[in-house]
Amino acid sequence: MTTTPITRRVATIGLGLGLAAPWVRRARAATTLYVRTPGGVYDDIMRKSVYEPFLKETGIAVVTVPSTIGKLLAMFKSGNVELDVIDTADGPLLTLDRLGALEPIAYNKWKYGHKDEILAGQALPTRVATYLYATAMVYNTKAFSADHHPRNWAEFWDTKTYPAQRSLPDLSSGEPPIEIAMLADGVPMDKIYPIDLDRAFRSLSKIRESIPKFWDTGALSAQMMSDQEVTLAAMWNGRVQALIDKNAPLAIEWNQNMIQLQALGIFKGAKNPEAAQLFVDFASTAAPQAGVARELRYAPANQKAFDLIDPALAAQMSGSPKYREIGFFRQIGWWEDNRDRVNKAWSTWILG
Amino acid sequence: MLILPALVLLAGVFVVPLGWFLIGAFRELGEDLWPQTLAILTSRAIRTSVVLTNWIALTTTVAALALGYPIAYALTRLKGLAFSCLIACVVLPYFTSIIVRTYAWMVLLGRTGVINQILLDIGLVSQPLALIYNRTGVIIGMTYVLLPYMVLTLYSAMKSVDKRVLQAASGMGAGRLTVFLRVFLPQTLGGIAAGALLVFILSIGFFITPALMGGQTDLMAGMLVEREVEISNNFPVAGIMSVLLLAVTLILYAVYLRVADMRRLLTA
Repeated sequence: MTTTPITRRVATIGLGLGLAAPWVRRARAATTLYVRTPGGVYDDIMRKSVYEPFLKETGIAVVTVPSTIGKLLAMFKSGNVELDVIDTADGPLLTLDRLGALEPIAYNKWKYGHKDEILAGQALPTRVATYLYATAMVYNTKAFSADHHPRNWAEFWDTKTYPAQRSLPDLSSGEPPIEIAMLADGVPMDKIYPIDLDRAFRSLSKIRESIPKFWDTGALSAQMMSDQEVTLAAMWNGRVQALIDKNAPLAIEWNQNMIQLQALGIFKGAKNPEAAQLFVDFASTAAPQAGVARELRYAPANQKAFDLIDPALAAQMSGSPKYREIGFFRQIGWWEDNRDRVNKAWSTWILG
Repeated sequence: MLILPALVLLAGVFVVPLGWFLIGAFRELGEDLWPQTLAILTSRAIRTSVVLTNWIALTTTVAALALGYPIAYALTRLKGLAFSCLIACVVLPYFTSIIVRTYAWMVLLGRTGVINQILLDIGLVSQPLALIYNRTGVIIGMTYVLLPYMVLTLYSAMKSVDKRVLQAASGMGAGRLTVFLRVFLPQTLGGIAAGALLVFILSIGFFITPALMGGQTDLMAGMLVEREVEISNNFPVAGIMSVLLLAVTLILYAVYLRVADMRRLLTA
């Protein structure tokens, strides 16, 4: 009998909480930031060096969401933007930018970082570079050695001197080996763009026989290389380094490496624009970027971060000053104008 | 009446958004719709890919049937623990991520993989066989992924075969092969038809397995659609391609129904 009022009270409290639930969720939602990321190991490393320090500093929690560019475009076109920040290669960000899907970055309100610390020309109105990665040549050290291996893409194409099964990125990796094919055909690094597609595909045809498969994903390239399905390849340096760290007999030839940028952009229509600006600011500072770079071996875009990195480690990083000298930057502007053309040409070539 | 909720759900979450997407995509094209459709229809790459897609789907269906039929038959014979084990073997992989399973195949089928190691060790081959990153790899991978659909469909068909009819046939002096060919097999034709259709239609839309396990030229139609979305960001063209793929599937389905009906007429 005496339990009845208590039960009633509990019920009332429960009901009250239930009714308040939407507000409770709202209050928490203001401190949650949804960020598109590539997923996998990248997320783990970012969580440790960027998201957690950011949470401590601002009380804003980061939730990562994997999403393809197609999904982002669909979100934008349907007016149902579920993400705040987009962390991806600068190419897709340019795609979104041209559609007017990115919010300007408020550099003048930055309180953690400074625009001038970012690699020259890469703190742009709607996107800011965070890391530099590279597509570089990798060889199996059991099949080849430091003395005997292809040292540039023309030599990579030389199947007589270097007989081996090879792999190159597929179109669906987003980076078909068009620049590489031009280099192999004798075009110097500073004369690649604008690319003569016919010439690139003629060059690719010459090596096609030695390529059992073009890789679609970074994971597939790593699998094929560690299974010795192929002993020569063009791969993303982060993937290679992860294998080398696990004692795989692989080495990178950095000559003529193609440098690409990871960057951040803010989605127009983001639910938390202020938090998004704050995150982009924080993620562009030296300390978090140095932490990420140490593990991922992608050079930081914040040049001050190099002061926090052991020079020996910096030497393993794509986009470090040393490798920038012997490499070239991928021109996403050309790709933005020609991606559709390359897509059609690639399908025709591969099925031809 | 009972399937009404299912139909409403399907219409609400699948048909309506799909229609909305397609209409949106086509409206974006406006007057370009017909020229674009013609360009797709006349593209050599797309025609090659559609033929290839149907060929791969057909081979996969035949392989799944050849493997699935004995398994389903065994399932009808087994009882207790043996039955549970076999059904678990068939169904459990179905609950694992398709990516994980595909990578497992890479470890097994690769040049230095388990299967090639065994074949080399026992001296059956002197060179590693090319079991993956080619058409063989695609067929192995797809057959494996789709096998449960075939087995379960066949099993339910076989389960409904009246055992007494089989006993009667043996009692009349028919040998085991005759019982199987003339009594059991004809009664499972419906199951074979249903299983084959299911596997074939699912095969046509595949793109992850061929992308990971196929060779250079194993470019299925689904992969072309995906590239149109992800690489070209051209939703309208992807929409047209999907509709064309759907049309091809429906035409095949119609032809198939005709053939299936004919067979029923012949046996009746």
